[in-house]
Amino acid sequence: MAFSPRLLPATPPSRCPPPASSRHGGRTAPELSGPTPRVVVVTSGKGGVGKTTTTANLAASLARLSLPAVAVDADAGLRNLDLLLGLENRVHLTAADVLAGDCRLDQALVRHRALHDLQLLCLSKPRSKLPLAFGSKTLTWVADALRRAANPPAFILIDCPAGVDAGFVTAIAPAEEAVLVTTPDITALRDADRVAGLLECDGIKDIKIIVNRVRPDLVKGEDMMSALDVQEMLGLPLLGVVPEDAEVIRSTNRGVPLVLNDPPTPAGLALEQATWRLVERDAMTAVMVEEQERPKKKVGFFSFFGG
Amino acid sequence: MAPATIAVSLSFRLVPPRPCSVRARWLRQIRASSDGNGVANGDRKVGVLERKVGDLRAVVASVPPAVAALRRNIGLNFIAGFCLGITLLAAVARQVISRIHERDNKGSVADLIRRGQLKSGQRGMAKPRVYDDPFNNPLVKIDEGTSTAQVFGKEYRLAPVRLTTEQQAMHQKRRSRTYQWKRPTVFLKEGDSLPPDVDPDTVRWIPVNHPFAAASTEVDEETAKQNVYQKDGVPSRVKAEHEALQTRLEASHDVNILSSSQRNMQRSERQIRLSNESSGQNSLSGIANNQNGQPTLEFEKHSPDNSSQSKSLEEQ
Ligand SMILES: Nc1ncnc2c1ncn2[C@@H]1O[C@H](COP(=O)(O)OP(=O)(O)O)[C@@H](O)[C@H]1O
Ligand SMILES: [Mg+2]
Repeated sequence: MAFSPRLLPATPPSRCPPPASSRHGGRTAPELSGPTPRVVVVTSGKGGVGKTTTTANLAASLARLSLPAVAVDADAGLRNLDLLLGLENRVHLTAADVLAGDCRLDQALVRHRALHDLQLLCLSKPRSKLPLAFGSKTLTWVADALRRAANPPAFILIDCPAGVDAGFVTAIAPAEEAVLVTTPDITALRDADRVAGLLECDGIKDIKIIVNRVRPDLVKGEDMMSALDVQEMLGLPLLGVVPEDAEVIRSTNRGVPLVLNDPPTPAGLALEQATWRLVERDAMTAVMVEEQERPKKKVGFFSFFGG
Repeated sequence: MAPATIAVSLSFRLVPPRPCSVRARWLRQIRASSDGNGVANGDRKVGVLERKVGDLRAVVASVPPAVAALRRNIGLNFIAGFCLGITLLAAVARQVISRIHERDNKGSVADLIRRGQLKSGQRGMAKPRVYDDPFNNPLVKIDEGTSTAQVFGKEYRLAPVRLTTEQQAMHQKRRSRTYQWKRPTVFLKEGDSLPPDVDPDTVRWIPVNHPFAAASTEVDEETAKQNVYQKDGVPSRVKAEHEALQTRLEASHDVNILSSSQRNMQRSERQIRLSNESSGQNSLSGIANNQNGQPTLEFEKHSPDNSSQSKSLEEQ
């Protein structure tokens, strides 16, 4: 459900009908479901579909809900999660330095100055390389060490690199759940299906999709697949539907995640809703579609969540 | 004679003190003519007049080349000045145009910073917005009764999700048939030989030029793992280096210096190594401050001479 989703607490694929909307109104935070820390990999297969954008916003949104989150940039080659979080000037130590014994893990975590519950860990510096022999185990150790820490985070979000090679293998290794980001086009979908298959082979069965960059005007004219079409092709529960929104680029340039935007923006709101569903292990039960019986085109800007 | 002299003196008086060459010549001619004619009165006067007119003519005749010369000079100066002026004007105009252009040069980093979209100094310093329930706030109203939602002032229909659990399981089965995969747990460089204890199914072969993981490492797997798990204390490599240094110093019987500056040595060695390794990292305390905003490793305060001493010792 787009908006009644939190009704279903627990298990992901649960399709039970939403109880009465008693839980709407006056809620200030979602209910955390499951043991923590929850290790979630944000992946897609195809590049440029919005993994990093999604990771940054989920992490920021979690932190604002006072759910401590560690965002891990596992995209060693093309890292930019630090930019989206506005922390690029503060990353000096990485997981590679921790492995080498140059610093401790807690020293390599960069804490956000405004969102104190948000920390960033980069896997390595652009030109330095992870040790080949045990590089694939790095994040497993990191997640385990964070779990044993004095103040373990509630969420460990891993921003996965594109592709399905060594970087992907390393990123998914510690994950128990996955957020599969895709755009409503056939190339991204095929990659998403493959990645979903690999994740399932690896035992990660809790996979939810975020359909990003949806343009309701195109969906309405049947020039773009709807989120429901995407879901039908992948057969996975929907965590969120994020509209194409120019504010995404502005927020990237500002180094402030969209979910912190004031006033809220369509994409920021959609990502915030996705965060709430993630926390409650919920899925959408309905998606919003532009009204059919209104032929005159309304302002396209706000017409998101296209079904 | 007298009137001529008077005229001459008068003419002298009338002449400015530093005459130009033309005038001087003219005056000399007048004086010469007055000197030469002092006898007949009437004739003399007429002769003088005639001569003066003649002299004047000569003078006038002599003037045009001078004026022309003067004009040539003025022309040259004027052209030079004009060129200089044009150049200056062009420079100023160029500056102004480039300023205007800069203003129009949208999208440059400088421009983004100027417009406040990109903050040079305090990027990422967001003050968290006080949030509402993202499902129920002034911008989002959901009416489950009528299956409509009002979002950002626009009404939407809520289309229910059609995916069933059975369909989901079907897709999962389809994928498990299509993609048979076992996650590799060991990365090996292409061309390397397979270690005896490693299952070939778990190996991911990494091309030599792969950007992700190609370097060999000085730490073994167990040490690396312990490094990740270490909760407090000095990081292992820093500690190991310090200990190595200590034994080296002990070997050189320099125990006194050691005890007074061992901590400083640890620090300065670390500094040197870090500055060798990467330009971004300066000193450990600097890193701690940059990364976490508070010092995470404490070192004793040291005087500059102490640290230079330890450095020179280290270089021995
Ligand atoms: N909903 C959206 N609307 C508009 N642009 C978007 C949206 N999501 C992502 N983008 C843009 O797409 C590009 C790639 O996004 P990114 O998150 O870096 O993808 P990935 O990490 O998957 O490579 C970025 O420039 C980002 O600004
Ligand atoms: Mg990315």
